[in-house]
Amino acid sequence: MALLQIAEPGQSAKPHQRKLAVGIDLGTTHSLVATVRSGRAETLADSKGTHLLPSVVRYRADELPQVGTKALQHLVDDAANTIMSVKRLMGRGLQDVTRLGEQMPYIFEACESGMPMLRTAAGLKSPVQVSADILRVLAQRGEASLGGDLVGAVITVPAYFDDAQRQATKDAATLSGIQVLRLLNEPTAAAVAYGLDNEQEGTIAVFDLGGGTFDISILRMQKGVFEVLSTGGDSALGGDDFDHAIANWICDERNIQNLTLAQQRFLLRQARQAKEQLSDTAVTTITFADWPETSCPADIELTREQLNSLLDPVIAKTLRATKKALRDGGMTIDDINQVVMVGGSTRVLRVQEKVAELFGRPPLTSIDPDRVVALGAARQADVLVGNQTGDEMLLLDVLPLSLGLETMGGLVEKVIDRNTPIPVARAQEFTTYQDGQVAMAIHVLQGERDLVQDCRSLARFELRGIPPMAAGAAKVRVTFQVDADGLLEVSARELTSGVATAVQVKPSYGLSENEIADMIKASWSNVDADRGARSLREQQVEADRLLASITIAMEADGERLLTEDERQVIIKQMETLIVARNGDDHHAIAKQIEILAKATDTFAGRRMDDSIKRALAGKAVDNI
Amino acid sequence: MDLTKDYFSNLGLPCSYQIDLAALADSHRLLQQTHHPDRFAASDEAEQRQAVQTASYLNQAYGVLRSPLKRAIYLLELQGMEPLAPTNTSMPMDFLLQQMQLRERMEELPAAADVEAELEQLADELLVMHKQLQTDFAAAYEAGQLPAAEVVVRKLQFIEKLQQECNDLEGRLLD
Repeated sequence: MALLQIAEPGQSAKPHQRKLAVGIDLGTTHSLVATVRSGRAETLADSKGTHLLPSVVRYRADELPQVGTKALQHLVDDAANTIMSVKRLMGRGLQDVTRLGEQMPYIFEACESGMPMLRTAAGLKSPVQVSADILRVLAQRGEASLGGDLVGAVITVPAYFDDAQRQATKDAATLSGIQVLRLLNEPTAAAVAYGLDNEQEGTIAVFDLGGGTFDISILRMQKGVFEVLSTGGDSALGGDDFDHAIANWICDERNIQNLTLAQQRFLLRQARQAKEQLSDTAVTTITFADWPETSCPADIELTREQLNSLLDPVIAKTLRATKKALRDGGMTIDDINQVVMVGGSTRVLRVQEKVAELFGRPPLTSIDPDRVVALGAARQADVLVGNQTGDEMLLLDVLPLSLGLETMGGLVEKVIDRNTPIPVARAQEFTTYQDGQVAMAIHVLQGERDLVQDCRSLARFELRGIPPMAAGAAKVRVTFQVDADGLLEVSARELTSGVATAVQVKPSYGLSENEIADMIKASWSNVDADRGARSLREQQVEADRLLASITIAMEADGERLLTEDERQVIIKQMETLIVARNGDDHHAIAKQIEILAKATDTFAGRRMDDSIKRALAGKAVDNI
Repeated sequence: MDLTKDYFSNLGLPCSYQIDLAALADSHRLLQQTHHPDRFAASDEAEQRQAVQTASYLNQAYGVLRSPLKRAIYLLELQGMEPLAPTNTSMPMDFLLQQMQLRERMEELPAAADVEAELEQLADELLVMHKQLQTDFAAAYEAGQLPAAEVVVRKLQFIEKLQQECNDLEGRLLD
C-alpha cells in the first residue's frame, strides 16, 4: 500500500487533506504566527506557551543566531550584535539608516547593492537577512505545531509600505524558505479577523495605535472584495506619547528638573502603570518608592479625568489624521459602518471613548489588539491555499504612494496616482529632447511631490538604440505594471523602431515611515512652493533651450549675417539671461527669455531668407 | 477574456453613456473573483502573469467606466475621436466667462467670513453643473452629435479640475 502513496514533491498524497498555511505578522517590536484549525483562527505558541515573539535577533560567532526572548536579554550587554526594530530598516538605503543611527547602536556598512549591512559577530547581515531569521523561527513554530510542511504563508505589511519595503519583506521570506502566498496590508488583515468580509458590504475604519506609530486606514468591503480607499497616520505618534505626557505632568507637579536617564526611565514606567491602572479604576497613586535619588518627592494622585486631559491632545492628533484619511478616500464619518481597533495602545479607555465619539458608534475591541493582524492573515492564507472551497473572499488593494518618472528639469510626471487599485498597468509616452538623441534615461520615482529631489528614487535604467531622429519625433512608451502585492515592473519601448528594455524594479532602499508620512503631508503644505519650483524649472528648461539654439545659430551664421554691433547686443542679452536663469525668480527668467527672443528676431528673419535663397539657388522657377 | 476588446463588452455592459453603476460594480467584482492573481497563488508563473494582466485590465476598465468624465472620453475614443487632443481648445465664450468667475470666487474664498459654508456652497454648485453636463453628454452622444459631445467632455474636464482644486483647498483650509 505504501508504494501507492508516493507523490511528487509539493503534491499532497491525499487530495482531501488540508493544506498547511500560516499568517505571519512581522512586527516592529514583536511578531506572531497564526493558523486556522477546525475553522478557528488562533495564534501559535512556542514550546513554553508564549505567543508573542520579540522581533529581536542576536548574532554570535560560530553559533546559530538567537531570536526572541533569549536575544532580548542581551539588548544591553551585547547591544551591537543584538538587532531590534529591524522592520524600520527594511527596504532602506545606507543614508536613511545612518540618519537613524543616533537611535540605533549598530555599525552599518555599505555593500555593492547599496543595501545597508549590519556588522555583527557573525559577519555582515542585511536587514533582509535579520528579518529572514525571525521568519524562520515563526515558520518552524508553525510546522512544529501543525505537524507538517507549510505550503505557504501570508505576511502582513503596513498599508503605506512602498515598493522597496514590500520587495525587501518578500525577499526575507524567500530567504527563509517560505513560499509567500500574498503580502497583505495590516489593516485589511485586522478587518478579516473580525469576519467583516462575511458582511454584505460596508466601509471600515481601521484605527491602529501602537507604541510609536499611528496608522489609519479606510477600507471598503463589498460582497467579499476589500478595497483600501485611503491610508494615513503619523509615524511618530503612539502610546509612548501618552507616557511622556503623564511623565511631564508628574515633573511639573513635583517640580522635578534635569532628569537623569534612570529617573526618566522610572517616570515613564510609573506613567505607563498609572495609564493602565486607570482603565480599571477612577483614581490611582503614583509613588516614588524606588526613586533613583536620595530626596524622594511626595506621592501624587492621578484621577481618570486628569489623565484624560493629558491624553486628549495626543488623541486629538489621531482624530485629525483620521478625518484627513476619510477625506482622501472621498468618505465622511457617516459612511463608516465599523471601526476596528488594532495595537496595544487602543486598550486605553479614553482612546476607545474618543474614537466612539468621533464615529458615533463603539469600535470593535473584542479581539486582542496585539494579535488581530496575525489572525486575519491566517484566515487569508487558509483561503489562498484553497482550504475554504466556495469562500469568495478577495482582497483588492491600492497603491500606497504615487509612481512617476523624471522629466526635463528635475520634474516628476505621475504615471499612477496614489490609491489606484492594484494590480494595475499604465503606460505613458515621452519623446526625445534633442536632435539625434539615441538613448533615454528612465528614472522611476515614488512620492507625492513635484520635484525629483523630494521623491524617492526607485530605479534608473536606460533605453538605448533609439534611431537618430529630430527632437520630439521619437515616441518612447514607458509601461508600469504593479502586481497584487504592490511590486512594480517597468518597461520602455521606442514605438517607431520597437527598441525595448525592461527592469524589475528591485531597489536597494526605500522610504522611511517618517518620510512617507512627511512626503504626503508636505505635498499639501508645499503646494504653493511646488508650484513656484515647477515654474522655475520650466522657465530654466525654456531658457536653456533658447540659449542652445541661439548658440548654434550664432556659430553657424553669426559672422556672416550680423554686424559686429548686432552680435554684441545678442551676446549681451544671452549673458543677462544666463544670470537670470541661474537665479531663482521665474518671472525674471521669463522676462529675459522674451527680451532675448525679440533681440534675435532680425537674425532669425535673415537666416530664414538666407536658407530660402540657398534652397532656391540654381533651381529654375518651374521646379519650385 | 480577450483583452483587446473594449471595456463594455468584456464587462458585459451595453456600449452606452448611461450605464447601471451597480451592475458595473457587480460585474467587475465577479470577474476579479475569477481572474485575480490570488486565485492563482499556487499556479505557475505564466498563469500568474496572465492573471496580473487580466486583473490590471479589469481595474483599468472599472476605473474608466465608473468615472463620468473618463467614460465619456472613452466612448468618443471608441468612435475614433480625440476629445483631449492639445489642438482641441476652442470653448464657448459664456462657459469661459463662467469659469473665470468661479475661479475668482475660489481665490477669494480663504478670506470669506464663513469659509466652511462658502466652500460647501461652491462644491454644491459644481456638483449641479457636473450632473447637468452628464445629461448633456448623454443627449449629444445618443443623438450622434459627436462634435457637440466633444465640447461637453471638455467642459466636464474643466469642472472636474475645479472640483479637485476645491477639494485641495478644503484640505488646506480645514486641516
